[in-house]
Amino acid sequence: MKKKLIGVLMGTAVAAVALTGCGNKKSETEAPATEKTTEAAVATEATEKTTTAEEGVLVVGFDAEYPPYGYMDDNGDYTGFDLELAEAVCALEGWELVKTPIDWDSKDMELNSGAIDCIWNGFTRDGREDDYTFSVSYVDNSQVIVVAEDAGIDDLAGLEGKTVGVQAASAALTLLEEDQKELADTFAELQQFADYNSAFVELQAGSIDAIAMDIGVAQYQIKSRDGFQILDESLNAEQYAVGFKKGNEELAQIVNADLQVLLENGTFDELAEKYELTDMVCLAEAFDDAEAETEAVTE
Amino acid sequence: MSLSVMLSQLGSGMLKSMGIFFLTLIFSLPLGLLVSFGRMSKNAVLRTIVKIYISIMRGTPLMLQLLVVYFGPYFLFGMNIGGSYRFTAIIIGFSVNYAAYFAEIYRSGIESMPVGQYEAAKMLGYSKGKTFFKIILPQVIKRILPSITNEVITLVKDTSLSFALAYAEMFTIAKQIAAKETSFVPFIVAAIFYYIFNLVVALVMERIEKKLSYYQ
Repeated sequence: MKKKLIGVLMGTAVAAVALTGCGNKKSETEAPATEKTTEAAVATEATEKTTTAEEGVLVVGFDAEYPPYGYMDDNGDYTGFDLELAEAVCALEGWELVKTPIDWDSKDMELNSGAIDCIWNGFTRDGREDDYTFSVSYVDNSQVIVVAEDAGIDDLAGLEGKTVGVQAASAALTLLEEDQKELADTFAELQQFADYNSAFVELQAGSIDAIAMDIGVAQYQIKSRDGFQILDESLNAEQYAVGFKKGNEELAQIVNADLQVLLENGTFDELAEKYELTDMVCLAEAFDDAEAETEAVTE
Repeated sequence: MSLSVMLSQLGSGMLKSMGIFFLTLIFSLPLGLLVSFGRMSKNAVLRTIVKIYISIMRGTPLMLQLLVVYFGPYFLFGMNIGGSYRFTAIIIGFSVNYAAYFAEIYRSGIESMPVGQYEAAKMLGYSKGKTFFKIILPQVIKRILPSITNEVITLVKDTSLSFALAYAEMFTIAKQIAAKETSFVPFIVAAIFYYIFNLVVALVMERIEKKLSYYQ
């Protein structure tokens, strides 16, 4: 009798799991199905363009705590320079853009497992070339140090014996652990944190003396907070690009071609202006370089 | 961002947190009973397996378990996980974890019942199933309710752990708004939301307890 009872309970549990499983699967298969029909119409006109993002959907992974590149706007929608750029690319391709906020620490797992198609979020290319397939670079970035205005720190040498904060899994951290290791060794401590909000409060409270971070984000942060400054001396110069799963050249090529279109029709510069990044964008130069390279090869 | 937008954003996040909360309870409460039967089984193999399961679930962080459930299919079988698996993974992770805790609570209740009751039921001709559902379980529920309330309240707060999978529940959204606004206000609002939710949960559980205390 007890066995029977267990059987019944197990049955209901399995049924319940199966039900939810099915429920999810259904919505999963249904959504692409409807997209496919609309996409099919587009595809007949646009011929082979939809080969890479099979279902006409581009899933962009981004850190939603990374203004101005990707963040939640006043209306609670995800926006930012990078996301609008991705949207423009999707508009060109007739794809649907799915903005998926991710935990930055898990970005590799998200990308490799196929949960997202690309990382498009102020993603530093330098030093990561072996791990991802990148688009052309579109923003000239540098890693900088932010300190309190009254801290009396004016240059990198002034950081000796100080506690410096850096975001976990960030490009700044890699930089301080590798190329700028000598500098990092002069610090009293290199403190890792999860998000810039807590880092700035720590800086304000005096538990850390400086933060190493991307210049674009640093500018956004000090604009909305008082009493901080960026050191003139930067840690490095590097570039942002869209990161795809290693080997996904096909999607990278399509995005590159679209970025060129967006550059030529002015959309790219408009967006750069909107997010006050005009001084930093480098897409035109990147394409010039690429052109020069191919010319050199043909010569 | 105006306060009303912030509230509505956090409110929508709250709904998602509540989704995790209720679905987890719906799956883990029955599953926990099942697990507790396994834990008390006369079959040594089953009992050992369940013991190991409980030990792992209680011995490792829930956040880690969520990551394993979500990314496991890819790392173990190279499966391509689609975007909508995120929520399913969260529910599976939470349910399987909480079932382990609930199982031990059920066991404490069931094992506290005097053998005399089983003997008396047998004398009266009750079958084993009937004995359990008509006599034992109603008393067990009464006894374990305070412990269950503990777990349920913890669950409300634990839903915030799904930020590890970037699921847009309240805590994740609070973090995102905080980043955008460069302020800590969203966290304070989120804390109030959690507290109110837990207050309601505690009140409901207290009411149920009172309703069940029909012998006092």
